[in-house]
Amino acid sequence: MTRFMPVIHVLLLTLVITAPFLLPDYRSSLSALWILIIVALTWDLTGGQMGYNSLGNIFFYGTGMYVAAIITIGIAYDVGEYTDAAGGGIFAFTPTQYFMGFGFGLIGAGLFCAACAIIIGSVTFSLRGPYFAIGTLGVAIAAGELVSNWEWVGGGQGISMPNYPGEQERLFTYYSFATVGVVLYIFLRWLYTTRFAAAMNAIRDDEEKAEAMGIHTLRYKLVAWAIAAFFVGIVGAIEAFQALHFEPLETAYQTINLGIFMVVCVLLGGKGTLWGPIIGAIMFHVFKEITWNYFLGWQWVALGALIVVTVVYFQDGLMGWLMSKKPEWFGIRVETRDTSTAEAAE
Amino acid sequence: MKKWSAIFAPALVALATTAPSSAYAAECEEIVLGSAISLTGKYATNGVHAKNGYEFAIKKIKENGGIKVDGKCYNFNVIYYDDESKGDRGATLAERLISQDKVQYMLGPYSSGLTKAIAPVTERYKIPMVEAEGASRSLFNKGYKYLFAVLSTSEQYLASAVTLAEEMAKKDGKDAGDIKVAIAVENDPFSLDIRAGVLEDAGRVGMNVVIDEKLPRDLSDMSAILTKVKLLKPDLLVVSGHSKGAATAVRQIKEQNIKVPMIALTHCEAADVTGNFGDAADGILCSTQWAETLSYWDPVFGTAANYEQEFKSAYPEYKEKKVPYQTAQASAAVMVFMSAFERAGTLDKDAVREAISATDMTTFYGRIKFSDAGNNIAKPMVLRQIQNGEYNVVAPSAFASHGLDWPRK
Repeated sequence: MTRFMPVIHVLLLTLVITAPFLLPDYRSSLSALWILIIVALTWDLTGGQMGYNSLGNIFFYGTGMYVAAIITIGIAYDVGEYTDAAGGGIFAFTPTQYFMGFGFGLIGAGLFCAACAIIIGSVTFSLRGPYFAIGTLGVAIAAGELVSNWEWVGGGQGISMPNYPGEQERLFTYYSFATVGVVLYIFLRWLYTTRFAAAMNAIRDDEEKAEAMGIHTLRYKLVAWAIAAFFVGIVGAIEAFQALHFEPLETAYQTINLGIFMVVCVLLGGKGTLWGPIIGAIMFHVFKEITWNYFLGWQWVALGALIVVTVVYFQDGLMGWLMSKKPEWFGIRVETRDTSTAEAAE
Repeated sequence: MKKWSAIFAPALVALATTAPSSAYAAECEEIVLGSAISLTGKYATNGVHAKNGYEFAIKKIKENGGIKVDGKCYNFNVIYYDDESKGDRGATLAERLISQDKVQYMLGPYSSGLTKAIAPVTERYKIPMVEAEGASRSLFNKGYKYLFAVLSTSEQYLASAVTLAEEMAKKDGKDAGDIKVAIAVENDPFSLDIRAGVLEDAGRVGMNVVIDEKLPRDLSDMSAILTKVKLLKPDLLVVSGHSKGAATAVRQIKEQNIKVPMIALTHCEAADVTGNFGDAADGILCSTQWAETLSYWDPVFGTAANYEQEFKSAYPEYKEKKVPYQTAQASAAVMVFMSAFERAGTLDKDAVREAISATDMTTFYGRIKFSDAGNNIAKPMVLRQIQNGEYNVVAPSAFASHGLDWPRK
């Protein structure tokens, strides 16, 4: 299996690059898939690898959107005037302003969200298990409410982004998402081979023991969450440019949609694996597109059923199920002979 | 066999009756418009009002012989999707209408919020959109070239109410600075612009804003704000929260027995406050984009009064209530498209956009002429007061048919 990995990776990369041309009518859907993949992978970084199930990662998504918007608009105009309900002059953007906003917006969103993760994390990481999940969820909900009453950024009106100055907007956003996704994949692939990942897994398996072994757990938890926040913030920023208009409660800090979907993706695919979240995101996206298009009115029922079935019957997700059925695919050697003698020898 | 004939016979009759009309329709080709509109969710009431307005206009235009473009005859057909009153859903559906259904012209959704979500999408694909239900001024400062609105912008809705409050205070021997204003609005683009307009007008004459609150998200309870109103005794109470907000306001003002000399709302007719709450709605001031008593006229609908009558006979569910202006302006948006196609003389999208932009026409809904930003600058707002269950125009003075009842009992 591992012999083929380079070939598989080249094939996958080719697929990633050519996908928008193979499926030109589905470019925005493919972009939406990338969002799911990235938020699922980053959720798994803390949820799967470290055992800290955050329901508040959507906070970084929404914050990323707003940071990108504020930076982009702030470069050209006064944000308060731009978002004023009473309107005012015409606010047009030149291509230079747009792309400067895009570049700085993405970087700014990533860094700001990472900083937020460290600040919020230093409080919430004192909570464990369900308390951590609820605590982070509270942060996301509170942030949505605060932003929706913050007039300077438009409050409940939301905020409008400038339109892309050109024709190939769909390709531009697709490749922006894809680049972040590929970079994240390569980064995680490397990260999961390091001592850092071993420490994260130790925290997941038994935090007290990990601490007793001299691991500074809080530091590891903060860094891991900051990495996740960095990438989610960037994805939020790109989505801000693609959505063109967004409002705080239902689009930016959408706790009950994307905030839950990312967890479902990971559960579907398999927690604590590199490929689980990716496969889960693809499965979930296909499921969502089908139910939202063809079973409208029943989509939430179908989604609920999917979650129940996954949680009850496939707790380890698709990857976990495969691992127990076909361990040899994952390089796990199963000794069928001599086990009894080996045991006896011990 | 008997069973089958029982099914087939009515079907055949139906076929026979529709055949001649479809043969007639075949003479005219179709121009497809698209619209994402709120058929469910918190804006459903007005979404349906708007959709009915679109459909009624399309039907009337068809009866009038269709749209004549370069010697050929066309009729409109609209593809609708339900945006569930959610912005991101609206944007997705607009995207779908344009890229999958290949719609080249759009009618607007309901509410400023949804229009804000959809306008950048139509702009992205350079699809002309004539909208009738998005009034916030923040829609018209983004430099959009393909967005046109037939209605007056939000800040004009309650401007007359502020003026009236000032006049009444003067009559009472009070100074403008003594007037206390209370504002409660929904946290959305439309109502926030209503608030901005009232704050501007009140600030100009030096009124004192004592309450400035947001209605809760689902608009179903404002009792906490009304308790505050009871304590602070403002001279003018302004509430804006689309139909649901208007209904909540009238219901709870009565329940909590709130006495304020002047109460001004938006969306009274759309919420049918007189039908639903009877006497409780008396004395309330309601802003309206259009009133059936105004003397506007056009060749398709005739007078404003005629529009109301014909609409009521086409949609009997409106028999007992006012035809809301949301319906009238939706019909006006269809009229703009008709006129633009006829003047352009072609179905070419850019030529039609130019024609829409050059519109200067009189309709049953009022005069329509767009500024460079796309909003209609040729039509005034009117203010009506509910007097004994009737909506009577009380301002501006050029249109007023009745005097103002003040203070509200």
